[in-house]
This record gives sequence, structure tokens and C-alpha cells, in this order.
Amino acid sequence: MFLETKGLTKQFGGLTAVNQFDMHVNKGEIVGLIGPNGAGKTTLFNLITGVIRLTKGQIIFDGEDITGKKPHQVAELGISRTFQLNPLFADFTVLQNVSASFHLHPRSSLLDIYFNTKTYRRNEAYILEQSLEILGLVGLDKVKDELAKNLPHGYQKMLGIARALAVKPKLLLLDEPIAGMNPDEIEFTMTGIEKTKQQGTTIVVVEHNMRIMDLCDRVVVINFGQKIAEGLPKEVRENKEVTRAYFGDEHVT
Amino acid sequence: MELAVATVTNLLILSSMYILVALGFAFLFNMLGILNFAHGVIYMLGGYIGLALISALGINQWAALIISALVIGAFGVFLEKFCFRPFVGDFNRIVMICVAIIVILQTSVNIIVGTQITSLPPFAEGVFKVGLASISYERIVTFAIGAVLLGAIIWFVNRTKWGQQMQAISQDMQGAFLQGINVHRISALASFIGCALAAIAGCLIGAYLSLGPFMGDFMLVKVLILAILSGAGSISGIFFAGLILGALDSVLPLFTSGAASDAIAVGIVVVVLLIRPQGFFGHEVEM
Amino acid sequence: MAKPAVLAGLVVIIALLPVLVSSHYIWHILILTFIYIIAAVSLRTITISGQFPLAHAAFMGIGAYLAGMASKWLGWSPWLTIPSAALVTMGIGMLIGYPFARLRALYYAMGSLFFGIGVIYMVYAGGTWTGGYAGLVGIGPMLGGSKIAHYYFFLGLALLSTLALYRFEFSRIGTTLKAIAQSHLVASSVGINEGWYRVLAVGMGCFFAGLAGAGYAHYNTVLSPASFNFMATLWLVMYVLIGGIESFAGPIIGTAILVLLPEFARDLKEYSPYISAGILLIVVYLMPRGLVSLPKLVMLWYSERKKGKKIAHVSGN
Repeated sequence: MFLETKGLTKQFGGLTAVNQFDMHVNKGEIVGLIGPNGAGKTTLFNLITGVIRLTKGQIIFDGEDITGKKPHQVAELGISRTFQLNPLFADFTVLQNVSASFHLHPRSSLLDIYFNTKTYRRNEAYILEQSLEILGLVGLDKVKDELAKNLPHGYQKMLGIARALAVKPKLLLLDEPIAGMNPDEIEFTMTGIEKTKQQGTTIVVVEHNMRIMDLCDRVVVINFGQKIAEGLPKEVRENKEVTRAYFGDEHVT
Repeated sequence: MELAVATVTNLLILSSMYILVALGFAFLFNMLGILNFAHGVIYMLGGYIGLALISALGINQWAALIISALVIGAFGVFLEKFCFRPFVGDFNRIVMICVAIIVILQTSVNIIVGTQITSLPPFAEGVFKVGLASISYERIVTFAIGAVLLGAIIWFVNRTKWGQQMQAISQDMQGAFLQGINVHRISALASFIGCALAAIAGCLIGAYLSLGPFMGDFMLVKVLILAILSGAGSISGIFFAGLILGALDSVLPLFTSGAASDAIAVGIVVVVLLIRPQGFFGHEVEM
Repeated sequence: MAKPAVLAGLVVIIALLPVLVSSHYIWHILILTFIYIIAAVSLRTITISGQFPLAHAAFMGIGAYLAGMASKWLGWSPWLTIPSAALVTMGIGMLIGYPFARLRALYYAMGSLFFGIGVIYMVYAGGTWTGGYAGLVGIGPMLGGSKIAHYYFFLGLALLSTLALYRFEFSRIGTTLKAIAQSHLVASSVGINEGWYRVLAVGMGCFFAGLAGAGYAHYNTVLSPASFNFMATLWLVMYVLIGGIESFAGPIIGTAILVLLPEFARDLKEYSPYISAGILLIVVYLMPRGLVSLPKLVMLWYSERKKGKKIAHVSGN
């Protein structure tokens, strides 16, 4: 098991957002985490990446207990993520957004950076090259010098994914990557996710749009902070509990 | 015994004066999110206007008090409309304009009056004896004026329509506006009251202690401390915080030097900021 | 960014000034300008991390008093006190900055404000050691007290400091700080330790504040606590905002204008503060982004006028 959560619980005062959540992700899989709005999916991501502190439970990644680690430490261990509301470095250009995100690999020391040593210059050249490559991958290379805040919504979401890839993650957590996209962008993003998986990255995708299940090896369903179903996409699609949870919400297209 | 009486009266006067001035600051901060760093010099100006009225027009200090309050209140309305309201949300511009106001007012006072310490004539003479202790009438009167005004403010904020509108704007400006509250008029009123109160405190302290061109700097620190301890959006918090600070400022100097007790008071505030930045009574601020 | 040739020319002119102008008073004003430029630029450096400290003059004061006291009571030479004071000031800044780094902008500003006030109160309460309200006298002079030597010393110090701060901002360190300022969520998700970087920015800023203060102490040989109070901090903030907080050159221009302009109006004596207030009002109402935005605003206004004329011409008016 690559990622495992054991009895993960989060209470906000009287409200239990996540309740005794057990899930696991195997290396190289794409796991879909689906559920209706407010089910606790983003909270789960926030717990795993250390953005909020858990009330109870344990998180184990690649054999190491990462419970209680801070977000930047989690990133150092190889987990990267996108955000639902997609904050960006708004005043940076598209290119700067990605190159600034190359903080961890390669890592120049403060002294190297400050005194503009050969190591630093070599790293910066490599980062520039890699950034352009990632932008090419997500189709944003033509707008690389645009300010991030001026991009249309779909492009901004792509930029969020590009930025997450700059971390060279072993595990990539995508929070509603296709929300708000038009069908072409959805197609493109799903292909991109598939490509990323083929390169060896393990992926967990949160979505309430069930189309994402076409990509997944396994699906976990969450509602009211609890796991209500788990299994292959086909099984989950036919699960009555799941349909009931979604009744009145989005349906399988 | 004498010392206890003196300390208590000192506490009451300091607390009430701090609260009087801090209310004006709190009104603007709660309603418009404006940190009016110039509020200290407004307080100072109130005292000096009072002095000017007395020496130029020969009126007594009570009339001067009232006229100064009205003049400074009107000045507050002017400031709110032309200097603060246009720049709501722009911290940089607000800071710049506050410094401009401070410089203009302090320089003007320096030029017209000079930098030596003066004072207003006292608001009451004589001494009141309680057993073995004696309290000057001036102290009683000063505190009484403060207490009456503070009581009036509590009544105004909680019981009048305007006061309640002020509270509504403090909680949610957009919502209040959508409900039909005339935000501009209410914030102008709040500014008027706040500055008038500061002017009154300026005259009272000007008589009780002294007038100096830098008294505003001293009061600004107290006002900021009250604002932090109480927290954004709370008027009752200002009262509690004022009592706490008044107590610290009257008791601590008994045990150590004035500067050291100031340092301790500020140290306490810093600790509070680290542990509970939103103050004891207020809500969190988004900025 | 001005052409390097223009900048170099400017520096040469400033360097040659003592040869052209023999007024010791003008040298003195320029020395103060150099000192305040170091403080103002370093203040702005802290702000690129998204934090807005309101205690910078107090940190100058810490550097000044540390150097002054070491010189007066321990007999240290300025070449020892100045770097030591700068380092200790940096350390204090980082120590204080650490618990404050997690506060939101407003609370951080307030916290630093009170810290600065507290520092001055501690100076007041320092008795004989700090000289209290009356100030500290008898600090050892440097460079044999020669004004012209001071001029070149502080010019050099200002140049080196601005270069050091420039490199800090335009390297990856600065980019990382600006990233944190824009979205600390995203920054931490890519592995940036925002707390540590914020402290680093504060440390850098405080080092140069302490440096400026320590230099000032030996230049002036006398220290008054009022020079480092909250009002002094507000003035440093003015130097940054008037020039323009979004540009590296902003604080340099702002300091120069706000220190030098009132001096030209010195004949107005006690009326000269009105000049400073006037500058503040002009910037607030006409060019809120600072004086650096003036060329852009002029071009914008000019092009709008041309457009207006063209439209009028086309429609046959």
C-alpha cells in the first residue's frame, strides 16, 4: 500500500466532517474519490496534506507515518495536490507559476541562490527547461507570459495541475480537476491524467462528476464524511447506495 | 488609605478617558475597517481648541468644552468624507493620509501655540473630604463627565435606531446597505460622535493634567492597546479593555518606574496578540 | 528598470558631490539620506513576503543603542560594534518574527507596532545604561570625525546594502517570498516552508535596519529615543509608500524626496513640515502607487488626451 488512512476523523466543533475514514491507495493506481457536494472530499485532502489538523486517526505514506506533518513537509515526501478553488500565484506569469513551484527538485541552497553560483545557474536553466516542457504538456505554452490572473477559468485549472506536476510527485491529489471545464478541456485533462499515471505517478482524483470514473482503477465513495462504497468503477456505478446518494445530483452521463 | 483612594480615582479617570477616546477609533475601525492613526492628534487638537476658545473669546471652560466638541466633531465628519471613505480597504493610502493629518495638525499647533506645556483652567476647584482621605472636586467632576458620556454612548449604541444601525454596519456593511441603511450618513455620524468625544477628553485631560503637542502620541498608543485587547466589532470590549488598561496604568507605576510599567503593559498586549489575536470580545478580521 | 549607464552616472555625480559642494550641512543631509535609504529599502524587503511590519525604526534603534552602548561602556571600536549590532538586531528580529510569522497581516502589523513601542519604553526604562529619556551621549566617533570620510563611508554602505537587498529580491529567494505573499496555500503545497521564509525576510530586513542604526549612532555620537519611536517608523513607511512599494527603486526615491525636499524649503523653518504633508497628500490623491508611477501616469494622461483629440478630429468637431 502506498497511501493508507486509518480511522481518519475530523471534527469542527460539533460537526463531524470526516468520520473513521479508512482507505488505501496502491502504487501506480488511479483512485477516484467521489461523493456529492459537502461529502468531505476536500477536507480529506486537507487532512492528508496537513493543511488542517486531524482529530483522530493515522496517515501512512510509502511506509512512513505522516500524521501531523506540515504541508511543506508532506510535499517534500512526494505528495502534491491541486485545490478546488484553484488559488494561483496571481501576479506571476504562467511560466513563473510553474518555475516558482520547482522549489524542491532541484533544490539550490540559500548560499547557492544568493551568490549566483554555477550550481544555481545550472539548476535554474534546468527548471526553465522543465517548466516549458510541463507547459507544453498541458497546452499552456502559448500563454506562458500571460499573468495568471488574466487567464480564463479552464486555463487556470490547467495551470494548477501544471504547478502540481512541478513538484515531481510520487502521489498526486487532484481536487475536482474537471469542474467548470467544457467538454474539450475535459477530454484533454483526462488524457493528461492518464499520461501522468503512465509515467508512474499514483493519483487520487476527487470529483463529483462521475465521468472521472472512466479513468479510475478503483473508486471510493464518500458521503457525510463516511465511506459508503468501494470497488471497481463498474461495481460502484451499479451500487444502489451510491445512486441514492446522488439522487437529485449529477448523473452518469 | 490615602494611596488607595488616589489610585482608585486615578484608575477611574484614566479608564474613562481612554475609553472616551478609543470609542471614536473603534467606531471607524468597526464600521469601515479604517485604522485612524490620526485619532491621537484629533484628541490633542480638541484640547488646544478648548484652550484657544478660552483665551481668545474669554468664555469659561464649560462652554469651550462644548464648542470644541462640536468643532472637532465637524472636523471628523470632514475627515471621514474626504480622507477616509474614499480609500476604504486601501491600507497604504490610509496610513499616508493619517501621517499627513498628523503632520499638518501638529505643525499648526507648534506654530500657533508653541511647544511649551500649557493647560486649561480646571473644571472644578476645591477638595472633597471623605474621612481621612481627600479627593479634589476636579477629579470627581472629570470622572463624572466621563461616566455620563459613556453611559450616554451605551444607551445610544444599544437603544437608539442610529446606534443599532451602527452595529449593523459593523457586522456586515453590505448587508446593512442592502437593508436600506444609509451607510454614509451613519458613518459620518459615528465620526462626529467619536471625534467630539476625543475632543472632550482632550479638554478634560488638558485641565486635569496638561496640554502638550505630543499628548496625542501618548493617547494613540492607549487607544491602539484598547482596540487590540477588545477586538474588532465590539464596543463593550472597549469598556472592559479600558478598565484593564486603566488599572495597569494606575497600579503598575506604584511598583516600578513609569517607563517600565508602560513596557510591561505593552508586553502584555503583545502576548495577547500572539495567543488570541482577535481580542477578547471581537471577531476575526479578514485582512 | 533604469539603464545601468544612467544609474552609474547618478552614482558618480553623488560621489563627486563633496568636491563640487563644500557645504558641510548639505553633506550632513545626504549622509542622513544614505542612512535612511538603507532602512527604507530593507523595510520594503520585508514587505515582499506579505508581511507589513510597523517597527522598523525600533530595529534601527536596537542597532543604534547596541552599538552606542558597546562603544560607550565597553570601549569597542565602530568596526566591531557596527557589524555586531547589525547581527544581533537580525537575531532579535528573527526571534520575534518567528512567533509572529503565522499571524494574519493586520495582527502582524499591530504586533510589530507594539513590539516597536515596547522597545522604546525599554530604552526609557534603561536608566544610566541607555540614558533614558535624555538619550545616550558619548558614543565613540569613527573615521576621526571627518565629515567627508563619513560621506563616502555611508555612500559606500548604502550602495552595498542596496546591492545586497537587490540580489536578495531578484533571486529565487525573492521569487519564493513573493509566491508566499500571493498564496501561502499554494506555496506550502509545493514544499515552501513559509514560516521559515518569512523569518528569513524579517532577518534580512532587520540586519540592515540595525546596520543603519549602528552607523547612525557612531556618526551622531548622540542618541535620542525619540528618533526611533512609532512616528519614526511611520516616516520610514512613508518613504517606502511615497516612492512606491511595488518597485525596488521606490523607497530610494521616496527617501530622497521626503528627506531632501523639506531641506530645500528650510527657509520656511517651522513651516517646512507642511511640504512633507503636501507631498503625502499629492501622492494619496493623485498617484497612489507612488512617485515611481509618475512617468507611467503622465504617459497614460498624454495618450488619453491624444485619443480624445483624434476622436474629436474624426467626428469633425
